[in-house]
Amino acid sequence: MRMRNRLGILLLAALVLLPIRSLSAQEKLSAAPVLDKLDKVANGFDDQEMDIEMTIIDTGGSKKSYNFNIKQKGNDRRLVRFRSGEIKGMATLTEAANRAYVYLPGYKKVRRVAAHNMNQSFAGSDFSNSDMATSCWKCLYDGTVEREDASHYTLTLTPKKGTDTGYARVSMKVSRQSFRQEDTDYFNAAGDLVKTFRVSNTRTYSCGVTQPETIEMADPRSGHKTTLTVKELKVNQGFKDSMFTERELQWGK
Amino acid sequence: MRNALLAVLALMGILGKAQVVHAQSWADMTEFSGYLDSDVRFLVEDDRGPTAGDGYRFDMNRNDLDLKLTIRPFDQVKAVVDSRLRFYGFNEAASLPELVKRDPIDPYSLYLDEAYVGIQGFLFEGIDLRFGRMVQTWGAVDQFNPTDNLSARDLSDPFNYSAKVPNQMIELSAYPTDWLTLTGVFVPVFKPAQLPPSALMGFAVEYDANGCFAKAPVPPLSTADVASLQELFSAVSPCNLNFVDPEVRTLTPESTIENSQAGFKAAFQAGDLDFSLSYYYGRFAFPVAYTAVAHVDPNVQTPGVFDVKYVAEVLYPRMHVAGADFSYSAPWLFDIGFVGEIAVYFPEEVIFGMRAFQQTEPGSAEQGPPKRALVAEKSALNVPSDPFIKATAGFDYTILPWWYVNAMYVRGFFDEFNDAYGIRNYAVGATELKFFEDEVVLRLAAVLAVDDLSATLNPQLTWIVYPSAEIALAGLIFLGDTEPDDPFDYAAKEKFGQKAAGRSTVALRARVTW
Repeated sequence: MRMRNRLGILLLAALVLLPIRSLSAQEKLSAAPVLDKLDKVANGFDDQEMDIEMTIIDTGGSKKSYNFNIKQKGNDRRLVRFRSGEIKGMATLTEAANRAYVYLPGYKKVRRVAAHNMNQSFAGSDFSNSDMATSCWKCLYDGTVEREDASHYTLTLTPKKGTDTGYARVSMKVSRQSFRQEDTDYFNAAGDLVKTFRVSNTRTYSCGVTQPETIEMADPRSGHKTTLTVKELKVNQGFKDSMFTERELQWGK
Repeated sequence: MRNALLAVLALMGILGKAQVVHAQSWADMTEFSGYLDSDVRFLVEDDRGPTAGDGYRFDMNRNDLDLKLTIRPFDQVKAVVDSRLRFYGFNEAASLPELVKRDPIDPYSLYLDEAYVGIQGFLFEGIDLRFGRMVQTWGAVDQFNPTDNLSARDLSDPFNYSAKVPNQMIELSAYPTDWLTLTGVFVPVFKPAQLPPSALMGFAVEYDANGCFAKAPVPPLSTADVASLQELFSAVSPCNLNFVDPEVRTLTPESTIENSQAGFKAAFQAGDLDFSLSYYYGRFAFPVAYTAVAHVDPNVQTPGVFDVKYVAEVLYPRMHVAGADFSYSAPWLFDIGFVGEIAVYFPEEVIFGMRAFQQTEPGSAEQGPPKRALVAEKSALNVPSDPFIKATAGFDYTILPWWYVNAMYVRGFFDEFNDAYGIRNYAVGATELKFFEDEVVLRLAAVLAVDDLSATLNPQLTWIVYPSAEIALAGLIFLGDTEPDDPFDYAAKEKFGQKAAGRSTVALRARVTW
């Protein structure tokens, strides 16, 4: 009986201690199931639409803001229309991972953009075009669960072979409760921390979905940062595939 | 009748959709945008004007107010009106009566850049219609598109050589599959390109510092014929030649359906490759020299002085253009973007003819107009009917997130039509450097005429002061000889060296966009 009690205490201790221990190299679990759930939480809708205010804050503290609208269907189809600033009227369409177009109002022309443009900054912000396009982590990254505790998984991610995400390594905290992406650090090939991603102000939108309202991407080397404030979120509006075509880009001009 | 039918069909399309789409509030229906642009330019040379020493002065003092309104009464219907009020900023009042009017003191123009109706799902779900005043820009490459012929260029602003002259047209686009887009455009009435102010230098007579005749425009004839025409004046002192600026008449096509333009394009998507095939029928939008007549008459007031009047005609030749273009993102080569465009032109033949007459008897009330004798008659094939090719190929790449480069080879500038000047070769390069989170952008662009090594440089520094507000300092510099090596050779003019190419200018511009 005493033996069984000891065993029970040990099992209980193991269960309690298991979530807060670091995993040894041999024990590390694949991050794939966590990423799979994270992707479903963030993008597990048939479609979504966001009105976003982007504020770019430079090292001196001065701010500038732009408004844009994002419509998205699935992981790849995305239409971004800028609604303010010197780039008002510009629109970008991603039809697939390797196919993107931009409408330039100054030229009244839709132009295909090559994949190298994904490395460019998104409208001068701390987000790259590639960052903005990342809606499927499990498609882009392999990784392991580096650590888990009562509230979070801590993942270490590296780009899948043949995939250029712009980062050599990503360290990401994922909420065990909500499976939402939280504190995320991006490292370059030299191992330097080049960007930090933080979320705050969780809000339940009129569509019933609870998501962080504020997303911040910062460059710790320069002190420069960008916040995205999701003003409105709508999901499952029944977007057709035809809304994410060059035709729609032409029509919107 | 045809337009009436289309209007009825368009109305049917609108009404048909009206039954299924709910009306929205005005705030949802309308979108207002535009910009205010203030532009001051200064000539930074004094050797490319009509007379030596003309330069180092303000060349532009312009304000543009652009207002664009898009109304979407239904999701599938829109009306777009884009108007621009342009104030030129230079006083044109030249007499006392004009000084009591505002217009000559502060001249302005009203432009209507777009005014069209768009209907999505016209008759069939996969067909879109745009009908009205608009511009077309075809082709995959930047700026130098040999397949882009439906809308004529507006080169009135040398810094903005991608601008177009809007025109009334009907565009139907069909989307039968995800990977195929069919576009047909009909342009009922031809409109020519708007030329830059410097174009007048191409037909200008030049005088030396003493005010004596120095040079007349060279016609597209053989060098031997041009030399023999010059011989007509060899016996007369240049200071005794009163050679007025030529009168150049344009032979504008009549507004008949035979002179309408039409274009058809089939665009395909295939993975990393987009390509299209196109066809165009219409006219070349830049004028081509056709005839010239010179009258040499003794000046009635000053014995020994001769008046020379030169009347030239230019036309817009018909052409068929078969084109193809592609854009390709190379995943196996650093994701570099490659673009290419080729067009085979089938031109209407143009034979240039020139006659020179010398007065033999003065005119009078009794005897009638003056009698003249034909002293020279020359002709040459200016544009052969043989097909010719214009093409552009290039690549672009983002080396670093803040450093972008673009390079192209161009065969045939947009104003070249295989006339006596020929089709020439160009190397085009541009790089863009972004600083301070894209707040400051330095763009350096250059075009080198490979055949004569003249060039034009276009540096531009743009500062985004606040979102929507930018200030830009830019230059447009022409490099090359203003005088050709062989003054009798029509084709010896350097592309960017000749005065007709433009003036070297620095511009300071401020713009707010809303």
